[in-house]
Amino acid sequence: MEAILRPDEQLRVKDLVVRFYTYEGIVKAVEKANLNLKKGETLGIVGETGSGKSVTALTILALTPLPGKVEGGSILFKRINGKVDDILKLSEEELVKLRGREISMIFQEPNAALDPLYRVGEQVAEAILSHRLPEMLDRAIESLKEELKNGNGGFSSKLQLWAYNEMKKNPDALKLKLVKKLPIIGKTISRKLNQVVRDEIIGLLRLMEIPDPERVVDSYPHELSGGMQQRIVIAIALACSPLLLLADEPTTSLDVTVQAQILDLITRLKERFGASIIYITHDMGVIAEISDRVAVMYAGNVVEVAPVIELFKKPLHPYTKALLEAIPRPGASFKSIPGTVPNLVNPPSGCRFHPRCPHAMPKCMKEVPELRRITKEHYVACHLYGGEGYGKHSDSD
Amino acid sequence: MSASMRTYIIRRLLLIIPVLIGVTLLIFAITQLFSPVERASLYIRDPRQAKDLPSIIKKYGLDLPVYIQYFRWIDQVLHGNLGWSESTHMPVLKALITHFPATAELALYAAPLTIIIGILLGKLAAIKKDTAVDHATRIMAIIGWSLPSFWLGIMLLAIFYGGLGIFSPGRLSVWAENLVLSGEFKVYTGLYTIDAILNLNGAVLLDALSHLALPVTTLVTINIALLMRIMRSSMLEQLNKTYVIAARARGLKWKTVIDKHATKNALISVVTISGLLTAGMLSGMVITETVFEFKGIGYWAAHAATQLDIPAVLGFALFAGTIFVIANLIVDILYAYIDPRIRLG
Repeated sequence: MEAILRPDEQLRVKDLVVRFYTYEGIVKAVEKANLNLKKGETLGIVGETGSGKSVTALTILALTPLPGKVEGGSILFKRINGKVDDILKLSEEELVKLRGREISMIFQEPNAALDPLYRVGEQVAEAILSHRLPEMLDRAIESLKEELKNGNGGFSSKLQLWAYNEMKKNPDALKLKLVKKLPIIGKTISRKLNQVVRDEIIGLLRLMEIPDPERVVDSYPHELSGGMQQRIVIAIALACSPLLLLADEPTTSLDVTVQAQILDLITRLKERFGASIIYITHDMGVIAEISDRVAVMYAGNVVEVAPVIELFKKPLHPYTKALLEAIPRPGASFKSIPGTVPNLVNPPSGCRFHPRCPHAMPKCMKEVPELRRITKEHYVACHLYGGEGYGKHSDSD
Repeated sequence: MSASMRTYIIRRLLLIIPVLIGVTLLIFAITQLFSPVERASLYIRDPRQAKDLPSIIKKYGLDLPVYIQYFRWIDQVLHGNLGWSESTHMPVLKALITHFPATAELALYAAPLTIIIGILLGKLAAIKKDTAVDHATRIMAIIGWSLPSFWLGIMLLAIFYGGLGIFSPGRLSVWAENLVLSGEFKVYTGLYTIDAILNLNGAVLLDALSHLALPVTTLVTINIALLMRIMRSSMLEQLNKTYVIAARARGLKWKTVIDKHATKNALISVVTISGLLTAGMLSGMVITETVFEFKGIGYWAAHAATQLDIPAVLGFALFAGTIFVIANLIVDILYAYIDPRIRLG
């Protein structure tokens, strides 16, 4: 099949199926999920724990956690060169180029997302050196030439200049590897490059509104607060100005005041970097604040997609309605959704929500409802409504 | 070295003093299990000398209060006097020094081999989980872990020396030993492989190595199992961590993620257990040296024990305790070197 995206589309997840092969049985974590994302848009994905939101996000990076396996569907992504690729069909070589450069991710627990044994600066540098080495080398060469012209540079400047020009030709050349191993000379060679990268990192940290970035860059993760750690993780994600940022509950583990700051930061950075965002959360308040459109996931299915205002004003799916009613309000009694999230080894037949649904009909037990279009941008997967299939509109539009 | 690392090492060095005092207390306590008469009787050879027992007790202060005896002993130990080893007819300290090079030579080959092979195989088994490589290392670990070292040693001797006629016991063949005794071959360190290199004598080097092959194999096989399994499980645990996903998500190659991030984190638990590994090595040394007639400290201690040479056994206990304390010091320093949370915490 030809990989097609509409001109304004950045990403389309089509009929994605992810299953986990565990000893207890096959966990059907994501079952025919459909999503699409426009350029520059923030799509909120909301759902309970185990609804498949995080797995979907990781699968977009082709990093489905083991023992998970992608069993079907496609993830079409408009690359930086304008080409449309199915991420699930890319080679590991291509994926290494894509991850961190075109799509990057921020995580629920910043503390866990950083390697405790390396300074945070080193971890930001990894992202920069993986994708922006030529740019950094150019800067270093520029600065060295300047030094030599002003008569400040000596032998070491010339040596570095030679090394960087060689690196530009082939960074993995054997002679470079050998020279780097030499005592003193090895260190001398990376001096300017390190300095250039360090300056870049400090600038990046300043953008993240990190106070005293010169100190923080040399800190270990455990020396920073949760909020600061999350800013570092965001800095890593944005270090190469990606096209798409996957945010997997980035504020869940933080204090409420810090949550607001981080949310604020993401909103502002989005404008600056112009990335599309998929923001995953179970917090309807956060969804209302940050997203343009919302996709509601339940037990591995996308059950409703709508612009944020419409979703809050006119929710269609019984699950969405229940979710919105479950938001605690002062004065009102606390409402929870009866029943529990289904076991995904043996999910309910038909619509996976039917055992908890107040409107369940006999049809719901037999037939899986398709995601159907109700109004221009409102889709729902529920037998209570008619509408046309999700995949079909892209041809008619 | 950073300032934090220096403070950590100094703090850790100071901590050795109470630990060593504890070691001496424990060793001293063992001697107190015997009555003064029993201890005095070690000094006599003939039943007719039994009448001298009271004077011996008096002479060596064996009936004095316990703490005075302890301080007297410590005073002697600090002056390098560990007593007389009857079984080898020399002072205990001299016996320790004489036998040390052989043990050091065994450890010099067995310890690095165990550590390097153990870590590499454990890492490989984790990366290639549930493949043939993984199963092979698991079988190796079970064999190594469950075989008694004396049995393995005897089997190796039976096959290679008894059956094939190569790899004989002892430290050197007779001709090489004569060469060493003749004085033509200069002994610098007492480690014959090193001395052979310093003497530029290839024949002695080969001979020494061929004598090391079996005992080193025994020690490595016995000790590698634990290390390999710890490395494997620790590596598997690390590979499932979020920072590994995060490192891949920023575009690092899988190999870089494994070598730079996961392995370093996995090594923390390996370093932690390598203190225990030293204990395994020391006890393995006693048995291995005895089986292979490799005349090191373990061989000497085992023979002293069978001849009720109490000062020698105490000397060995003191030696083993000190080695163990030093090994754990190194482990703790390595630990801090790898993990910033330890040295800055």
